Amino acid sequence: MNQEILFTTENIGKTYGVNTVLQGINVEIRRGEIVGLIGENGAGKSTLLKIIAGVEQPTVGTMEMNGKPFSPASMLDANRQGIGMVFQEQSLISNLTVAQNIYLGRERDFSSFGLINWSRMNARAREALNKMGLKDISPKARVRDLDFAMRQMVEITKVLDIVSETANNRALILLDEPTTVLSDAEMAVLFEKVRQMKEKGNSVIFISHRLQEVLQITDRIYVFKDGRQTAEVRTEGADEYILYEKMVGRETNGEYYVSARQTVPGADVVLEVENMSLFGSFRNVSFKLHKGEVLGLCGVEGSGKEDVCGVISGDLASTSGELKVRGKRVKFASPGDARRAGIISVPRDRRDEGIIGILPISENISVSNYEKNAAHGLISNRRQDRNAREWVRSLSIKCAGVAQRVSNLSGGNAQKVIFARVLDSECPILILDHPTRGVDLGAKGDIYALIRDITEKGFSVLLMGDTLDECLGVSSRVIVMKDGLVCGEFDCPADNKPDQVDVVKLML
Amino acid sequence: MKTFDRQAMTVAEEFVSKVEREARSSLIRVYAPMILLVVMTIGFSIYDSHFFSMKNLSNILGQMAVPLTLATGLTFVLLIGRIDLSVEGVMGLVGSAIALLVVNSRNSNDWGIWGVIVPIIAGLLFGLITGILHVRLRIATFIITYATGTIAAGIAVLLYHSQPATAKAQWIIDASRTTFLNIPLITWIAVAFFAVCCVILNYTAFGRAVYAIGDNEAAARASGINVSKVTIQVFVLSSFAASLAGVLALIRLKLGQVSLGTDQMFPCITALVVGGTSLAGGKGGMLQTMVGTLIYMELLNFLTIIQVPADYKKAILGVIIIVAVVLTLTRGRKTIAK
Repeated sequence: MNQEILFTTENIGKTYGVNTVLQGINVEIRRGEIVGLIGENGAGKSTLLKIIAGVEQPTVGTMEMNGKPFSPASMLDANRQGIGMVFQEQSLISNLTVAQNIYLGRERDFSSFGLINWSRMNARAREALNKMGLKDISPKARVRDLDFAMRQMVEITKVLDIVSETANNRALILLDEPTTVLSDAEMAVLFEKVRQMKEKGNSVIFISHRLQEVLQITDRIYVFKDGRQTAEVRTEGADEYILYEKMVGRETNGEYYVSARQTVPGADVVLEVENMSLFGSFRNVSFKLHKGEVLGLCGVEGSGKEDVCGVISGDLASTSGELKVRGKRVKFASPGDARRAGIISVPRDRRDEGIIGILPISENISVSNYEKNAAHGLISNRRQDRNAREWVRSLSIKCAGVAQRVSNLSGGNAQKVIFARVLDSECPILILDHPTRGVDLGAKGDIYALIRDITEKGFSVLLMGDTLDECLGVSSRVIVMKDGLVCGEFDCPADNKPDQVDVVKLML
Repeated sequence: MKTFDRQAMTVAEEFVSKVEREARSSLIRVYAPMILLVVMTIGFSIYDSHFFSMKNLSNILGQMAVPLTLATGLTFVLLIGRIDLSVEGVMGLVGSAIALLVVNSRNSNDWGIWGVIVPIIAGLLFGLITGILHVRLRIATFIITYATGTIAAGIAVLLYHSQPATAKAQWIIDASRTTFLNIPLITWIAVAFFAVCCVILNYTAFGRAVYAIGDNEAAARASGINVSKVTIQVFVLSSFAASLAGVLALIRLKLGQVSLGTDQMFPCITALVVGGTSLAGGKGGMLQTMVGTLIYMELLNFLTIIQVPADYKKAILGVIIIVAVVLTLTRGRKTIAK
């Protein structure tokens, strides 16, 4: 590795509305260096990569590539300047062949009179694949017939080929969790290729949840937390424990999570999951949710926790195992079934799954419980509005009136409307999927207080927290999942919360 | 604190095997229509020996000209996940206009070859306008194409003032009588158009872009494909197919009226779906289009041979559409409609 600086960012920040997701980022990438980015979900790692790759524009800050100002207008623009990104969600076109994917949008190089010379394109693809040592991938194979590791390799080949057209071994390749779908052997191959790229003078930024991998492949590591860059570690001499510590940072005090009002759950089991599995997602998950309890589910994205909640809320069907509500076996065909059994969820993706933006607040609140506001089968607008006004008051939702469209509310207030709907349904079991994501600080406090209110009333909550800190702070007990399996369980009494490092160790 | 052991086959490996299983079953779906075509042909021939006679086969091929032409154009539209309901109107307009511009029963026009070229250009304009309205104003294609198609049909009726012209040009009469290898000229024209479109779809950057947009529009855009431009081009191509179908229909029927195009589009959509083209885009191709069209034409012909009444025929075709759509559906989708 030499000391020549390839790429820097200065004070990069990104804000969505009132929500700051990235702030004051100053990273520096040297030529021939592999740099790791680690941090919890939502720490801002992927956002930074998207900004560097030209997919998103920064709200503030500047970047430099090769000593010149760099502000890509699009991904293509970034490509032309030597920066390419391999996405977490794969962006290959599955019904085209490997060669067609590598040269998608660049077919002109192989055309005469508008007709593509497939054999010439395949030959060039062969060369590009060989350069990556991928001798066993045929350029003519359709991407949908390749396994994930191979697709990942093809994607990297594509990005490298695009970038190296201009970069001449001064490329910066961004890898966003490239190993999630790979087996150990496949990962070894990938790392080998990444090292070869590095040998030639290219640089790589690498995001992964698996710290061992990060320690194995990188030269230097940046730690991100809550949208800020909190530490920089030289990989040489570092170990996982040091990284854990840097990642979790300092703990938030109990007051923030209203821990004083944390309930001590009773012995009544309201929901029991027994040996539940969903093929390809999670396996043999068992736990009990008690009356008045907040049970936290911890795990990185892809650990299977989302799908566990999906099954309980009736959105997905498990392949085996049992689900019992108050001792009775149940099987849900839809979220409607789950609601009738007393389970309702606050979805993570507010815009897509939570609110019906064009409807007014009053209808958004009553959409799960029309019967309640109906008279003789017809909805009574008067009743519906009266009901909504009560909720607006008791949850202090800031709005112009119950007739206001939810799409015009701030994130925190929109979330409160969803809470109102969920509470209005009087379901005793709530699934809260990242209830504070994209919500401002004040509204967060309101939501924590609300969780305390309802658990005091005997409601039970299954929580997937936005951060580990939140999950531990709010829950009475947490279950840790990794790679589809439950790998640990911690009691979280208000006066004795478990050490975050211990929990993170199991998650990663 | 409790910890648990991890198990042998990882969940990640389960996930991979699940994806592989789905890939295999989708492969079966690709070949199913071809197997169906062979089985149908053999079955029909055994049931009724007239079916496989030279006379009946050339009859089927003769009737295929218009559906094949329309289906060829619609293949591109469906591949990018759109729909084009304007083809019937454009077809009617082009056919009617030609009948009024060549030697005919209504007026003294004799524009010769321009009598064909000018209406086709008008047809192309409709595709261009439809495409631009769709990508610029982001109007869903099922409604914008219905609108432009209705306008085209309306213009056609205005042109002939409710009294359609009969084309009497000698070349039209000759063309309708010409056959080669017992197959009518119009079918050969349709097949030639089909062949050209095979090349366009499989050997040009445009063809690759069509697949890319249908499979993953965001990724296509990120790869530098001008999605708007390709989409407009697809609608122009589809309206060219509709215009050509209008010419072929006029050659067959001589009477230039809007009804040349009536009830032509949905049978083609049926044929495409039966062949294995997905309405959601990305899946399908020229081979599927040919197979689907053949299946559709053979079935229609067979139902006629065994004298199934017209109303029952429609009901049977309706059931076939539902079955075919169910078979080409992507499984595991949460929402019912796209």
